[in-house]
Amino acid sequence: MKTMRAVALVFLAAVLAASIAANWIAPASYARQFRDQPDAAPSAQHLLGTDDLGRDRFSRLLYGTRISLLLAPAAALMSTVLAGAIGGAAGFAGGWIEVCVTAATDLFLSLPWLFLLITVRACLPLNVSPVVSVAITFVLLGCLGWAAAARVVCADVRSFRNSDFVLLARASGAGGARLLMRHLVPNLAPVLAAQFWISIPVFILTEANLGILGLGVAEPLPSWGSLLRELESFSAYSAQPWLFAPLLLLVLTVSSFQIVLHNEEVAG
Amino acid sequence: MESQPLLSVHLSAGYRGKPAVLKDVCFEMQRGEVLSLVGQSGCGKSTLALAVLRLLHWKQATAKGRIVFNGRDLMAVSERQMRAMRGRDIALVLQSPLSALNPARRIGAQLEEAWQIHRRTSVTERLDAVHATLRQVSLPSDRAFLRRYPAELSVGQAQRVLIGMAILHRPALLIADEPTSALDIVTQAEILELFSRLSHDLGIGILYISHDLLSVAAISNRVAVMDQGRIVECQPTARLFTRPAHPFTQKLIAALPAMPQFGCAAQAQIA
Repeated sequence: MKTMRAVALVFLAAVLAASIAANWIAPASYARQFRDQPDAAPSAQHLLGTDDLGRDRFSRLLYGTRISLLLAPAAALMSTVLAGAIGGAAGFAGGWIEVCVTAATDLFLSLPWLFLLITVRACLPLNVSPVVSVAITFVLLGCLGWAAAARVVCADVRSFRNSDFVLLARASGAGGARLLMRHLVPNLAPVLAAQFWISIPVFILTEANLGILGLGVAEPLPSWGSLLRELESFSAYSAQPWLFAPLLLLVLTVSSFQIVLHNEEVAG
Repeated sequence: MESQPLLSVHLSAGYRGKPAVLKDVCFEMQRGEVLSLVGQSGCGKSTLALAVLRLLHWKQATAKGRIVFNGRDLMAVSERQMRAMRGRDIALVLQSPLSALNPARRIGAQLEEAWQIHRRTSVTERLDAVHATLRQVSLPSDRAFLRRYPAELSVGQAQRVLIGMAILHRPALLIADEPTSALDIVTQAEILELFSRLSHDLGIGILYISHDLLSVAAISNRVAVMDQGRIVECQPTARLFTRPAHPFTQKLIAALPAMPQFGCAAQAQIA
């Protein structure tokens, strides 16, 4: 297992390094169109060929990896903070506030997300600028992930609220803010950290799924989601197996994440 | 003892589903006195401890009556004033020491924080206070010890840390809620000895809550016996053990395997 973990770590580091260094490694900009050679097969000049607009696929994969790998942790951070704040406040306050928040969480978890996302897409203008699309994707991912985590946090905080050490802190004259910062946060930190790390691979996949719905990062910016859209037509990729490269990279990255995280959990 | 009592309580309290846990409980405590409160489990002893600190509402309970501490009715002061008194004038020691310490924070940080809640002083003054209190409860005060987490302490050490935390501000009243029931017999004796010493040296009044009559005999000046939410008898220790008046007290004492060893407090009463 140790070797597996080392391999996974090296792989993740390499992918991250390559994506960050995209400006220097990539043979072309992600938006540059080689109009004389659209739909080209892999060659020395275009390692993964070009797409139907003549853009270098390898360069787009590098830039796309960067966006996906930055977006997922950022969204994971947002959803973890949301979960901590909402779940924490509910668990700490107790009473009717906790009942309301738990009900809202249940409702949130039981919504048919696929249909809602399609509705959201329908509400947006057809052409959103790349920056706006990245922002929307970020917010959507962040909002999607908080509910399940908030429940865990809420249950944890509830047990802290009734614990002896919080009772003793109160008996020592500690007020609400001190209880929160000095007693609850240090005890919640491991839970929130775990939540953050396990959200990342989930969000990488979700971003890819959103891309297929046309909700993800907008053209000409590439992301794993938008690169995977090329796999939509069967006839295209049956003759061009190199189209599978983004899928392969996605699966390898997410499984590497899972391997590293799993080992982290086992090691405690 | 004609002076104003340290604490005078006249109290009823109840939980939502259990309305009368304390029924007109009435007692007084003098400065520096060790008063024990004995009774069976569930008779309302711990409820009383929390009621004096006005922390009952966190357990969804309500209290009615008067708690006069140092001439001030605690039921009438604001929550803010009450918070300023908790830990500084009235301190609490709980039953299970390991769960009363925050598992995620180092001992040193928890002691320093207990100091900081009521005092804004320089770092050196704060550390001096922490070192002094640790010496008082016979614990090492070196850096390595302060950097330990609660899980790295023995139960006895953890209880000493909590007692140290409780006496940090030299409170006039220390409420100890079954502080020895989670300890083995040797550690129990050590902790009891520590309580006697603190009460004697620092003049701290101790409300010692217990169901263990032997430890009560060793430590207290007076004993109040509680049964089903009422105080049925309150006597000087030696008299209570030799001439119990109430049938419930007689039953309690008859259940003892042998007559207890009295501590110096009770021996003085015999002489």
